[in-house]
Amino acid sequence: MRHLASFLAISITLIVFGFESSALAYLDPGTGSMVLQLLLGGIAGAVVILKLYWRRFVGLFRGNAREESERSPSEDQK
Amino acid sequence: MGGVEPLPGSFRDPSGSVYQFEGRIFRTVNHCFSQDFDFVTSTGLFQKLATEGLLLPFEIVSSDVLGLSDPKPRYVLEAPRLPLISYPYEWSFPALKAAALLHLRIQLKSLEVGVTLSDASAYNIQFQGIQPVFIDHLSFRRYQSGELWNGHRQFCEQFLNPLLLRAFFGIAHNAWYRGTQEGITTGEIRKLLKWRHCWKWNVLTHVVLQDLFQNTSTKRTKSLQDHSLARASLPLSSFKAMLEKMFHWISHLTPLNKGESTWGDYDRTCSYSSTEIQSKKQFILEFSQKVQPTLVWDLGCNTGEYSEAALEGGARNVVGFDFDQGALDGSYHRSAERRLSFQALFMDAANPSPSQGWNGHERESLQSRVSADAVLALALVHHLAIARNIPLGQVVSWLIRLAPQGVIEFVPKNDPMVQELLSLRQDIFPDYTAEHFMALLKEKAVIIKNETVSKSGRMLVWFKRM
Repeated sequence: MRHLASFLAISITLIVFGFESSALAYLDPGTGSMVLQLLLGGIAGAVVILKLYWRRFVGLFRGNAREESERSPSEDQK
Repeated sequence: MGGVEPLPGSFRDPSGSVYQFEGRIFRTVNHCFSQDFDFVTSTGLFQKLATEGLLLPFEIVSSDVLGLSDPKPRYVLEAPRLPLISYPYEWSFPALKAAALLHLRIQLKSLEVGVTLSDASAYNIQFQGIQPVFIDHLSFRRYQSGELWNGHRQFCEQFLNPLLLRAFFGIAHNAWYRGTQEGITTGEIRKLLKWRHCWKWNVLTHVVLQDLFQNTSTKRTKSLQDHSLARASLPLSSFKAMLEKMFHWISHLTPLNKGESTWGDYDRTCSYSSTEIQSKKQFILEFSQKVQPTLVWDLGCNTGEYSEAALEGGARNVVGFDFDQGALDGSYHRSAERRLSFQALFMDAANPSPSQGWNGHERESLQSRVSADAVLALALVHHLAIARNIPLGQVVSWLIRLAPQGVIEFVPKNDPMVQELLSLRQDIFPDYTAEHFMALLKEKAVIIKNETVSKSGRMLVWFKRM
């Protein structure tokens, strides 16, 4: 999972920002930290979602399919 | 304004200021911050942290005690006075690490009750022995749902990056930190990194990416600042996870030692026999029993063996000083293992911490921060007089000025340690003799007791300033 996250982080960095830099950084000394936290928060959120769906996916092959199908759609949305 | 003036270093935070008045320490809470202060008080966090020994306790006293009228503070808090205020550039690696972990622990505990810390200044932490304690009661404020970790950048600069400097490269943070006073920037530490460091997730994110984001300022970044960052939010669960991961990472950081410590093994490699060490300890023990000092300065403390003897004799606190990182690490572990009221700080006796920062007084010099009742200078004089060419008379005068009484060790020229210092250089110290040393001492002090404690003629002298 760490490698996947590293890959995601690097990809996003390169795609969004490229390697350009300038002296404008002094405008906000905390920008680097803020963007990083957004990224980490985003990754953490994505990991939670992936884990959730992964469990459901694995559950399908562990005989829980019936249990899943018996749930009402409204319960799934909770 | 009326009343007393705040301490010179207390000007950054508009929420309040720190005052020293009649030997007591006060902190004002201004009206602009009173809502946050009331909220934090209502959560019981102050009480809880103080009970656990993580936060310096305080009492709310009369708001007239300082005589401040324009503006009159909303509250005035009184906190116990600490034996010594020290700065992060004087701390050893394990001390800085303990302070970093305390900050993270307090931040996590605060979030549990809807409170957060407004900054991550290492100067908000002080030590009682080796126990770090948080001292800034105005750093606590109400947590707003989704807000970012405001102190993250400062935490990296003031705690994480200085620790990484030693953990990755074996370089102590002290000299660099003393120069900047604000720690080591992420950009600076990133320039030192090798590829092998960068692939570790924590390094990649908190150092490489943070610096990359900081330095990248294309139009797209500006756009990001205008739109996304203004509405930036971090889920509480992610905030906590970030803190917990940082805690786990830092708690596993250890110094990269490359066998560079000269004095960490001093206990084993010095020219004393075990009998001679016992004689020396007995001398210090007797001195401490008779004097019963509140605060002892142990200059050149090594791993604190004689500091411990002073504590056994009845000294209440000992602050040791050394410039060797191995000795400082050893002192920290000695103090931790034996629960001593002993803290070892980084200091080169020939270049002690100066008064510096804003207006030259934001961070006070070591000598102006505290005065000791007693000083120990064991196996130190020859390092100053011979290795650093400081005239013997100046060394003696300096030691006598530091404290009204103490014990100084004189190591004669024929001792193997002094011979080593002279082995590659000309002996330009004809006055460096026991007789001359005693004559200089007697000009300004009374000799209470002196004793030769080694075969080479090392001599301990117990003096009392005239």
